[in-house]
Amino acid sequence: MTFSKAGVKNNGLLGILRGFPPDQEGLVDENTILVQRTLRSGQSIQYNGNVVILGDVNPGSEVVATGNVIVMGALRGVVHAGAAGDESAVVIAFKLQPTQLRIANHITRPPDDEKDWVNQPEVARIKDGVVTIEAIQSWGERQGKVN
Amino acid sequence: MGEVIVITSGKGGVGKTTTTANIGAGLAARGYKVVMVDADIGLRNLDVVLGLENRIVFDLVDVTSGNCRLRQALIKDKRLEGLHLLPAAQTKDKTAVSPEQMKALCEELKKEFDYVIIDCPAGIEQGFKNAIAGADKAVVVTTPEVAAVRDADRIIGLLEAAELREPKLIINRIRPKMVRQGDMMSIEDIIDILAIDLLGVIPEDEMIVITTNRGEPVVLNQNSRSGQAYRNITARLLGEEVPFMNLEEEPGLWGRLRKIIGLK
Repeated sequence: MTFSKAGVKNNGLLGILRGFPPDQEGLVDENTILVQRTLRSGQSIQYNGNVVILGDVNPGSEVVATGNVIVMGALRGVVHAGAAGDESAVVIAFKLQPTQLRIANHITRPPDDEKDWVNQPEVARIKDGVVTIEAIQSWGERQGKVN
Repeated sequence: MGEVIVITSGKGGVGKTTTTANIGAGLAARGYKVVMVDADIGLRNLDVVLGLENRIVFDLVDVTSGNCRLRQALIKDKRLEGLHLLPAAQTKDKTAVSPEQMKALCEELKKEFDYVIIDCPAGIEQGFKNAIAGADKAVVVTTPEVAAVRDADRIIGLLEAAELREPKLIINRIRPKMVRQGDMMSIEDIIDILAIDLLGVIPEDEMIVITTNRGEPVVLNQNSRSGQAYRNITARLLGEEVPFMNLEEEPGLWGRLRKIIGLK
């Protein structure tokens, strides 16, 4: 995914106007599709940009995006963000329980004995060359931490 | 040079995938180099039954269409050395592969593995034709139900037409008590209709449900009757003479009591 300089600026401005925290400005992009259904086994979404899903991603389905992937539901299938090699891409889901999670050319899967899943929104991103998963904090919470 | 065995049935839900997983694991446990191929493109299950779903990166369609090398798509089993899986694609359909491509793939796999076990999809259309294209031998799975036996008969006819001679029969989910009461077709009834060699009989067993949900083949479970049945089938495939196991359940305390007072 490539941004034009002006594009970044615009998006940044738009992001601030819409109330996005500054470090998530990158998530704001014109090239985004909204999928308003649950992806079932065998269904696949491939998109050149960001993908936002209002529904679940069931096991056996896959989402491949060159940008970020946001699932407003349970992510249980295979997801690939930054599929063209963008290591800054992130995967966000209300319930992050993927069969397999890929960002750029990193491939991860949950450990075989994973039983208890975290029941809160999480974000997966590459930090220092490894895929890390952490709870999502709202902007306010983060501001509170700084002070 | 290895041998390609296709596991087929015609009817769905009779236990093709479970049988594929257990014969594959059974042969690997005996020290052979085995690859299981899931030919059920679009409705893949074999990976789930083996607990290997989360390791899939490339699949059968990626191999036949040249997106990756064969070696990249093969998944090593997490328990058994020598057991491999070539998973089906889930987001494509049966038309993504042709019988010629399957034949070429089987030839390739035969060079490296002692046994290539193909899990055939239900039905008699393209998926079935793909699955049997490269096979040297066929195993037909059926259950003691009129509909399943009818479909098995149809499949045996199609296998013979495709010059896959002498398919072997596996009868799955038999319940000796129901057979005794005359409520279920017996082994003899089924063989009478199908007239092919019996490879084995698997009793109805809760352990099958438990182990398939856990993603571990029942053949590795030493205490279950179905596991023993699959070990026997494996041995017979290897040419060993194994007597058919006694399907009668061991009478429990209640059963023995009833016997003593002459209720049985």
